[in-house]
This record gives sequence, structure tokens and C-alpha cells, in this order.
Amino acid sequence: MNDMTERKLALSHMWVAFIAFILACFMGEYQVLERSGLIEALDSPTVYFASVSTHGVLMAYVLTTFFIMGFGYYTASTSLKTPVWNKNLAWAGFWLALAGVVIAAVPLLLGLASVLYTFYPPVQAHYAFYVGATLLIVGSWVWCGIMIMMFLQWKEQNPGEIVPLVMFATTMNAMLWLWTSAGVALESLFLILPWAFGWVDTIDVGLARTLFAWTLHPIVYFWLIPAYTAFYSFVPKHAGSYLFSDELARAAFIVLVVFSLPIGFHHLYMDPEQASGWKLLHSVGTFIVSIPTFITGFTVIASLEVAGRLRGGKGLFGWIGTLPWTNTMVLSVILSLLMLIFGGWGGLVNASYAMNAMIHNTAWVPGHFHLIFAGTTVIMYFSIAYYLWPILTKKPIYSNNLALVQLWTWFIGMSIMTTPWHVLGLLGQPRRISSVVYNNLMTLSWEPYELLMIMGGLVLVGSACLFIYLIFKTQFGATTEVYEAEVEYAESYHEVKDLPEYLNDIKLWNKVIAVLMFISFGIPILQFFFLDTYDSSAWGY
Amino acid sequence: MSEVSEEERKKILESSPIGTWVLMITVGISMVIGWMFLYYGVFLPRGMIN
Repeated sequence: MNDMTERKLALSHMWVAFIAFILACFMGEYQVLERSGLIEALDSPTVYFASVSTHGVLMAYVLTTFFIMGFGYYTASTSLKTPVWNKNLAWAGFWLALAGVVIAAVPLLLGLASVLYTFYPPVQAHYAFYVGATLLIVGSWVWCGIMIMMFLQWKEQNPGEIVPLVMFATTMNAMLWLWTSAGVALESLFLILPWAFGWVDTIDVGLARTLFAWTLHPIVYFWLIPAYTAFYSFVPKHAGSYLFSDELARAAFIVLVVFSLPIGFHHLYMDPEQASGWKLLHSVGTFIVSIPTFITGFTVIASLEVAGRLRGGKGLFGWIGTLPWTNTMVLSVILSLLMLIFGGWGGLVNASYAMNAMIHNTAWVPGHFHLIFAGTTVIMYFSIAYYLWPILTKKPIYSNNLALVQLWTWFIGMSIMTTPWHVLGLLGQPRRISSVVYNNLMTLSWEPYELLMIMGGLVLVGSACLFIYLIFKTQFGATTEVYEAEVEYAESYHEVKDLPEYLNDIKLWNKVIAVLMFISFGIPILQFFFLDTYDSSAWGY
Repeated sequence: MSEVSEEERKKILESSPIGTWVLMITVGISMVIGWMFLYYGVFLPRGMIN
């Protein structure tokens, strides 16, 4: 199969993702420096909040969405052994999303959208920010449509066959994203855009926050699923082993997708507009999400254990030392799982209804999501890039040793940066502040942690630059050597001959999600249409 | 990397991943202990919000 267009699609999406990433890394280091007050010349709340908002948009929306789209197009095409369905539409989605990024960037960089990359009224950005974000989301919906079409067409052409695991995971993620983004899309369309354009004077803040909470948690799983996909589909092969269980992997993706959606109220524990019972329901759901994470940990580590033992590892843990630590995919999954353990534990603290009060809106929260997102997730984006770049560009990786250095430094930098961040939260430092220099005993006790964060950030910036350098040199370096290889997906040790349809299709789970979303969000949203409000009505009209 | 015999290979592939079980149980118990430490050791002693 001539896959030139698929390779171009993947590379174009991923370059946008990684350019956004490197710009955001420098902004992150500026922010931690500015907040510490060490360099007086940097002190500017206006620039700080513009930078935080741009950093968040670039990392959380641009890096992720473009990476996921590029990764999805290529894995769908290679796993199903078929060209991307409707390539012109795929390019249209790319350009639409890119136009959205450019449009949103203008108010962000001008300081007219310093809303901390959230959609929480009454904080309001320039309307161009919302228009740009909407175009980015619509562009990503094009990707979702193409993934689902390819999935359905393949099933139709291959009746009774088992959909490759990587495609099953990608399609589940596309379905997840359609459900996830519906909350913020409703919020933007009916509440924020009319308000930002000045067509209405008021906005229903409670309803807006509820709709954003719909999106806010599962979006994290949209970012995480490609990392899990690599865990299951790439890692065992790279370790020289088999996937421990294909069925367990599918079950993990299903529980993850189904239960990541109806749980967003753990972001609203301190909000008054929702009753305690609903918050408790969402709290229970949040704890359920830890189950697929444990299943994933078990399945991936078991695959690694088999690999280590096949390489001669003995005893209870002797297999760990015999793993191929110089393989970037294997190294990154080990580092990723380590960060997932600590980040996941922090997540359980966040999800605890009572204890959340202790860390709510403190520095603990960004510490947690940096560890889960920038740590667990992004380190897998790196190793996926190291694996795919030579295949996509047909050139060998510039330096495997430097890639290993890059992965280690990212892990070390992230650990140095996020540990003090968590401690600062417990010491009472609020998040979303531009300065910590108040000259009292409490804030003085924060200083050593701020210094550690600056150092961690510097290590991360260096690591990020090395990553960009490596993929740039791989693609554009002077080498004349041609690298010919195809993507290889892990095989399950127990050959999967027959699967129940619920492990091989998305239709049932789409219906289950609809029911769960109605149960968990139905009354909490509908109540706004029946409650008496003052000087405002539901939807702000 | 040392090669294993075909017999050993079969045995490895068919045996339960005991190291993984021990690791997962250790991680699970550590998370519970860590959670309880934070709840009983940090959160509750701070008392009511004044």
C-alpha cells in the first residue's frame, strides 16, 4: 500500500503538536520564574496570566488534539491495512483546526484571553478566542468521523473478524471525544458566544460551569488513551514479548471510556449550584475509573515480566533488570507508570469528596495534572514519536542514546518540578496566582520549593529542546541511509479467535454512555430551567 | 541477554506473572496507606474551617 498521504498527514499533525509543545515549555519556565519573584524585571501579572493561558491552550488543546489526530490516522491506516477514508476531508479537518489555533492565538498573545484556558464564566475572553477554540474542536470532530467511518466500513467488509486492538482503542477514543466535547460545545454555542459577542448581557454561570465540568474530566482520558494504546500495542513487542491479554485491554478501554464521562462534578465540589448527592455520585464514579488504570498497570507489567523472564530474568523481580532498558518505548513505559502511580494517588485525593477541601484550588492541583498529563502522557507521546519518526520519514533515528537521555531528563525534571508543587499545595499556596512575594512567614516557607520548581523546569526545557532537536535531525539530517520498516503491533500470547460483540464494537457502549450521562447530568442540567434566578434566566436569555 | 530453552519458554508463557501480582498489590496497599496518612494525619488534624 502506498501510504505517502497517510505519512504526510501524520507528520503534519505531529509537527503542529510539537511546535506548540516547545513554545509552551518556554512559557512554563517563564511562569515559574515570574511567580517566584526572583527576577524583578519579569514581574508582570498581565504577562503572567496571558502566558499561563497560552501555555495551557498550547499544551492541553493543541499538542494533544493534533498529536491524537496524527497518531490516529496512521495507526488506523496501518492496523486496518487500508487508506485513510476521505483524505481530502482529513486535510480539511487539519486546516480547519489549524486556522482555529491561529485565530485563538491572536487574543491570547495580546492578553485579551487571559482566562486560564478554561471556559468558566464570569471570566470572559475576547470572542475570537472562543471562535478559534470552536474551530479547533470542529476540526477534531472531522477526525472522529473519519475514525468511526473506517471502523464501521472495516467491520462491514470483514464480518465476524476481530477489529485490531489499536483501532478499537482509537475508535473508542473518537467516541469519547465526541461525547466529551459536547459539553463545552453546548456551553460555547448557547452561553459563551452570544455573551462574548455582546448579544446578551447576562450569563447563567452555574449552568456554564456544569457544562464545562461535563467536558473537563473526560478530556484528560482523551489525551491519555493514545498513551495507553502504546502501552498495549507497542510496548510488549518492543520488550520482546506478547500482550498478556487482548480481552483485558479491551475491557480496560471500555471501562475507562464509559466511566470517565459521568464524573465531572469532582471539579465542582466547592461550587454551590449542584447538590451534595450529585457530587457524591460523581465521586463514586471517579473512584471506579481507577479500576481500568489498575487493569492497565497489571496487563502491561505482566507483559514486561514475561519479556524479562524470556531474556533470562529469574526470581520475583530479577526480570526487571533484564528488560531492554535501552529501548525508548520500554524505558518510557516504565517511567510513565512510575509517574502514573504517584499522579494516580494524587487523583484519588482530589476525588475524595471531603479531603478535596484541603487541596481545592491550591498548588496541589496543577502539580497533579502536570504529573499525569505532562509526565505519564507526554512521555509516551515522545516514545511514540521516536518509534514512528523513522517509519514516517524513512530515515533512521538520529541518536538512540540521546533519545534515552531525553526521556530520563524529562522524568527527572518532572519529578523535581511536581513534588514541591504538591507540597506547596499542602502548605496552602493557592493556584492561579502571579506572585508569592508577600514577605510573611508562610510565604517565606514556600521559597525553597519555588527554587526547586525553577530547577525542575529548566531540566524540562532542556529535555524538550533535545526532543525537538532529535526529531528535526532525524527528518532533515544529512544522512543518506534509508530506513525501511512498518509499524508492528503486539500480538496477544493467547490467540484471540472469538470475541463477544461487546468487546469488538462501540454501539452498545455508546448507548450505555447515553444512559449514564442522562442519569448523572440530566437533572443537574435541567434544574437550571426550573429554578428561579435573579436578573438572569437559564441560558442567559 | 541470555536465551532460554524452548521448555523454559513454554513454562514462562504459561505461568502466572507472580512478580506483577506482588508489585500491583504493593502499589495498591501503598496507595491506601498514603491516602489514610493524608486523611488521618493531615486533613482531620487541621480541623474545621474557621
